[in-house]
Amino acid sequence: MASLRMSNVSQSFIARRQRWGFYFVLPSVLFFVIFFLYPILSGFYYSLTDFTLLRPPQWVGLQNYQDLLKDRLFIKSIGVTLQFVLGSTVPVWIISLLAAVVFFQKFRGREVLKLLFFTPVLPSLVVVAVVWRILLHPSGVLTTLLRPFTGLGEINWLNDPVLSPISMILINDWSIIPFYMLIWLAGLTGIPEELRDAARVDGANPLQSFLRIELPLLRPTAVFVATISTINAFQAFTLQYTISPGRGGPIDVNTTMGLLIWKYGFQYYRMGDAAAVSVILFAIIMLVTGFQLLFSRGEQYSLN
Amino acid sequence: MTERTQVALSKFDASVAKAGVQPGLLLRKRLPGFLWFLVALLIAITFAFPIYFMVSSSFKAETEVLATPVHWYPYEFQGLLNYQRAFEVVPLARFFFNSAFMATVDVIVTVFFSALAGYGFAKFRFRGRRLLFAFIMSMIAVPFQILVVPLFIQVHSFGWVDSYAGLIIPGIMNAFGIFMMRQFAYGIPDELLDAARIDGAGEFLIFRRIVFPLLAPASASLAVIIFLFSWNNFLWPLIVTRSQDLATIPVGMTVFTQPHSDQPRWAVAMAVSTLATLPVALLFVFFQRYFVQGLVMSGLKG
Repeated sequence: MASLRMSNVSQSFIARRQRWGFYFVLPSVLFFVIFFLYPILSGFYYSLTDFTLLRPPQWVGLQNYQDLLKDRLFIKSIGVTLQFVLGSTVPVWIISLLAAVVFFQKFRGREVLKLLFFTPVLPSLVVVAVVWRILLHPSGVLTTLLRPFTGLGEINWLNDPVLSPISMILINDWSIIPFYMLIWLAGLTGIPEELRDAARVDGANPLQSFLRIELPLLRPTAVFVATISTINAFQAFTLQYTISPGRGGPIDVNTTMGLLIWKYGFQYYRMGDAAAVSVILFAIIMLVTGFQLLFSRGEQYSLN
Repeated sequence: MTERTQVALSKFDASVAKAGVQPGLLLRKRLPGFLWFLVALLIAITFAFPIYFMVSSSFKAETEVLATPVHWYPYEFQGLLNYQRAFEVVPLARFFFNSAFMATVDVIVTVFFSALAGYGFAKFRFRGRRLLFAFIMSMIAVPFQILVVPLFIQVHSFGWVDSYAGLIIPGIMNAFGIFMMRQFAYGIPDELLDAARIDGAGEFLIFRRIVFPLLAPASASLAVIIFLFSWNNFLWPLIVTRSQDLATIPVGMTVFTQPHSDQPRWAVAMAVSTLATLPVALLFVFFQRYFVQGLVMSGLKG
């Protein structure tokens, strides 16, 4: 009995102490309620209103969504976004993996070269945009470097409606590949050396060892890279805003959904329409990343 | 051991033995390393070239930057002239102050409250702990692009548009930081905390004097990536500030990005770009380990 009472006393003492944990997390929780949860929920509400910041929001039901379905710029922006996402995920996934394999090898000067390779991650995308405006000048650096193959003296990298979206992807991929290389490299480093040795002892050549041992073990990394690069690509805004002629041009071939949210919200102050585009973009991102995660998990189960 | 493995092993032994006797083979064994070096060199040059061109163009004369044929290095070296001009063409000092102010506040507040909350989630069992943690973690997955319109409306209703409060406060915490700090706080031995409690130390004092110093390596990683993220952040500062007095470097630099500026100053733009990248580059060089660890853990890239 005595010991039971003792434990009751100490339990209430402990319970009082545990409350401190609540006080410690409280500031963060409040912050996320005010600056994340409330805005997200109110975003759904605003997407059902007509709102220009000047008057209180007017309830219009699904009108904004119906209007968007008839909005040619919006329909076009979905295609533009998907195209950009495709160009900013698949090549990034492959090239960053290959680069990681190269920088995983042991050779002299590796650390210095890795440092150089990593430099594109450092500048902000606005700096990247200014630098690439110069590199992509019609008779500039890239045109000069490609002249032996193309024979062209001038290439309109940014003003040509076909080339311009490709240029955006090129710039974007250049700026993010070293970052994803780092993540692959961390994954490769995490594979125990004994496994590689065992494979070599069992007579596997380096390619076999890579395909059979390392690649399957890298599955979490592979999913991570695919998911994060997809989510980031869907939000494409900065490059299109800063470098494409007339913010999203020429003829809107670079008007991504992210840019459209800015145009409707902060150029025309049509907050209801901007919120509706946000909700649709959110739904698309959730759908696509959900598929990616489901797909990767399904494969894992089939292996077991 | 399988037959195949034994065969492989004997082959392996044979090749080792051969390499020992024949100097020619020894040379061939060195070749792969050299080949990897060449491939890595090619990749590194390809990726680093635009950065090289940025820095070298900042020392060129205005007419040189877009010259045809391309000037691969400054033919007419300008010294720091373009850097001097940069401060005359745009209020660069003001931009730098704003960016540094925002990044500093972001870093300090994020690190402190992430450590506090991470410790709270890791070492205390209060009611609703799981629910609150799940709530904060779900905020990691929210793309900012989705948040920007309603968040702006929110900040507008606070009367914070075009103010430091509006610029800084909405970005002052980071759900990932809390997750990261929680992972590290788990590693702190309970005996240490209990010993302090027996000595009569209050819970906040324990956090400040014992827990926070122990979380220093994690804090360094978090601080570095929050700085990178904050320094390079563009969308939020762009929409929430109007006056040039509040512009951060990325926002201030937009004058160089659109072609309609009547007198393009490309060399000056390259000087500004170089200056804007310098703090991050220094951070990267001196805190490479924390930088890389933070980036890899977060999956964040500004």
